[in-house]
Amino acid sequence: MKANRDEKIFSAICHVFVTMAAISCLIPLMNLFSISISGAEAVVSGKVSIFPVQLSFESYKTLFKISPVIRAFRNSLFLTVVGVFLNIAFSVLAAYPLSRPYFKGRAFLSKFIVFTMLISGGILPNFILMKSLGLINSYGSIWLITLISTYNVLIMKSFFQNIPNELSEAACVDGCGEFRLLIKIILPLSKALLATITLFYMVANWNEFLNTLMFIGDPKKYTMTVVVQEMIRNSSMLSDAAFMDPETAKNMTGEGIQAAGIFVMMVPMLCAYPFLQRYFVKGVMLGSIKG
Amino acid sequence: MRSQNLRHNKSETATLTWSIHLKRFYSRNIKRSLPLYIMFLPIIIYYTIFRYLPIGGLIIAFKDYRIMDGIMGSAWVGFDNFIKLFSNPYCLKVLYNTVFLRLLSIIIGFPVPIILAIMINEIKKKWFKTSVQTLIYLPYFLSWVIVAGMVVSIFGQGNGSILNHYIKMFTGYTIPFLNTPKSWIMIFVGAGIWKDSGFNTILFLSALTTIDPTLYESAAMDGAGKFKQIWHITLPGITSTIIVVLILSLGRVMQMGFDQIYMLQNAAVNDVADVVVTYIFRVGIQQGNYSLTSAMSLLESLIAFIFIFTSNKIARRFGESLW
Repeated sequence: MKANRDEKIFSAICHVFVTMAAISCLIPLMNLFSISISGAEAVVSGKVSIFPVQLSFESYKTLFKISPVIRAFRNSLFLTVVGVFLNIAFSVLAAYPLSRPYFKGRAFLSKFIVFTMLISGGILPNFILMKSLGLINSYGSIWLITLISTYNVLIMKSFFQNIPNELSEAACVDGCGEFRLLIKIILPLSKALLATITLFYMVANWNEFLNTLMFIGDPKKYTMTVVVQEMIRNSSMLSDAAFMDPETAKNMTGEGIQAAGIFVMMVPMLCAYPFLQRYFVKGVMLGSIKG
Repeated sequence: MRSQNLRHNKSETATLTWSIHLKRFYSRNIKRSLPLYIMFLPIIIYYTIFRYLPIGGLIIAFKDYRIMDGIMGSAWVGFDNFIKLFSNPYCLKVLYNTVFLRLLSIIIGFPVPIILAIMINEIKKKWFKTSVQTLIYLPYFLSWVIVAGMVVSIFGQGNGSILNHYIKMFTGYTIPFLNTPKSWIMIFVGAGIWKDSGFNTILFLSALTTIDPTLYESAAMDGAGKFKQIWHITLPGITSTIIVVLILSLGRVMQMGFDQIYMLQNAAVNDVADVVVTYIFRVGIQQGNYSLTSAMSLLESLIAFIFIFTSNKIARRFGESLW
């Protein structure tokens, strides 16, 4: 009897606590969204908390007019698409040989790359390196620095290792090369893995901030993260720019534009998230297998 | 004559067997791996230039680095930069802040995913479970720029900020949460937990599924309450995952995520919020004081290395280790 009552109390506590945690993840999003689509007067008087008040899209209109958000969005998209493609290609090239049991020296080469997870030179030598390569102000610097994530390579390697050997051996009876084996047999069998790793790289590229800040000085090449960050830092400047035109000023607040900018940046992630969530869970679990 | 011939033969067989060995070694080992070496060559080059060379670049910590002279041409100064570093109270403060904020984040944040996982595991309704998980994993996908925007919008003193709106309603004034060191530290740590807990929750949830459910049944039959079951079955069942995750986070004790600290800090809390990576960014990269900051970077790597090694040693006592 007592155990039964215990169980019920415990279950109730769990439900309440977990619901609170979930709501805490939702409220900030709704708050931002509501601010971005509420009327200026409602925002200033603090009426907006979770739900929009006096629906208005002025914030978005002004945002697109006064800030380089559209260009930054295009830059981020370009950086991410090319970046993810390069990431995947080179990660496969790294992971596949390390997953072959007959690859001589794989133990040493695995250590060679894993060691860099333990110790790194930090941001300063990277900066000097890129400067001496003349890659400052070019996206090449960002693509190169983030080309391979050793963590993702280890996930891929352990996945390739678990593909039954018979499959590749059967395919290789008539002597096909390693490259063909990789492209014709291994990769088609790893679609779920590739989706997962693509997701990880996509998030990393889209959210890339430090390297852009360090290497890209040309405002025309700024990405979403840098532009939105500047908007948050200098929100007063933003409202000044909007207030130049007294007609807009009436319907505008700095907070509104800022929230709109943040939301525009969030859109791709929010769109992709429902489809990619299960790959995310899979990927995290794959990563927990010690490689 | 005969003996000479014999000797000649002997050496010939020796060279013969040697070349056979070499050939055999080649065909057995290298030949099959050759395409793989070709495939892996770009990776070796990449890691050498973009991972190992920068580590070597920290050598400028012992030099008076001038861009004109290059890394090799700059003059050696021995430990001058380190002496400068240790005699500068601000540098020591920055190092202290790094360790303090990271350790605090780990100590407070570490149990959260474990508790979340155990509680989510307790939920039986499938739809409820999936929607809760969907929401809890979401912050992991958001950039720190977005999270910082949310923090300002909730805790700031601007017009839109929720918290101060209600505080003002009741008390008539606002509280500068983000400009007071103590509350800033709490917000900083909390934001980190909010964003990153989802990732480890997944790990612990999958570890929980490996626990044999019959254990719970027999424990319940013996009259063990829910909390006893968690203490004696659930926690021991996921200990190895807990230890691995803990080592990994301790190993990253010096790797303060730049984005998080850079976007949350402000001038009012600089005293507690300036850490190694932001200091290097400001003084090293923006002001060009390469040598002093690379000394700091080297020191940071050293501390990180010690942390990883010690935590791995401790883990070995529990029968777990990373290598």
